[in-house]
Amino acid sequence: MKIDENLRWILSFYRTSEISGALFFGELARSLRPSAIQQDMTRHFADEANHARYWTDCLEKLGAEPLKLPTAYQNQYLAAAGMPTNLMEILAITQVFEKRVVAQYTLHSRSPNVPDEVRQTIETIMTDEQWHIQWIRDALKDMEPDYGKDNIKDTLRRFTLADREVYKKTAIEHRERIVDLRLATK
Amino acid sequence: MNDRERVREKIAGILGHKPEKIADDAVLTDLVNNSFLLVETVIELQEEFDIRFQQADLAGLTSVGQLLDLSAARIAGDNPGSDLN
Repeated sequence: MKIDENLRWILSFYRTSEISGALFFGELARSLRPSAIQQDMTRHFADEANHARYWTDCLEKLGAEPLKLPTAYQNQYLAAAGMPTNLMEILAITQVFEKRVVAQYTLHSRSPNVPDEVRQTIETIMTDEQWHIQWIRDALKDMEPDYGKDNIKDTLRRFTLADREVYKKTAIEHRERIVDLRLATK
Repeated sequence: MNDRERVREKIAGILGHKPEKIADDAVLTDLVNNSFLLVETVIELQEEFDIRFQQADLAGLTSVGQLLDLSAARIAGDNPGSDLN
């Protein structure tokens, strides 16, 4: 089976984002003191590394090599939202990002002519993604006495606005590549 | 060794440089090859020294010297962000 270049690019984009997420959380987990958050973050980065492997395997099953893409989607967040400066802000930006990932994978799985290999990979990943959102939501709730409920809410709002801006920019920049996914929204 | 120098040593360790390379006037973004490493650096400083930064603290902060001053002030107990508690 041979896939078209647009799908190859999209799957490579997912793969690159998962690798970046794994590396980022891996470094953070190493920085943190042993705690429940460190434990969950360790599982989180292991999941992200596995997701990158699933996309590599998926591309292989589809007869394609992954593309080496220059920058991960997450890098653009820092430019749009400002650098997260403490653990609460890291978790807030991750929460927003994970919701975007779930929305994107849902959109992709509903788009026309999705190969079975891609749909199965998305289904496998989505189980983990739901847990990612849940553990971070719980951790942010636990942080309320320390960081302030309103402060956390404001931070989530700031990163949500940045996420919308980055997603819009990315969608415009790569509109030709994601035309099939856009059809799924109509 | 004072707090400022302890922080300098820590930053050097995180970034894989010798402490003498982490000069006060060095620009932080010149020392890292991606933005995520800078995020990891500020988080690791907070973990190591049990301090906390807020977004406003880092806005406009560009040099190593500024980060050392901020960290040393927080270690000494100057923590304007504590009113969130």
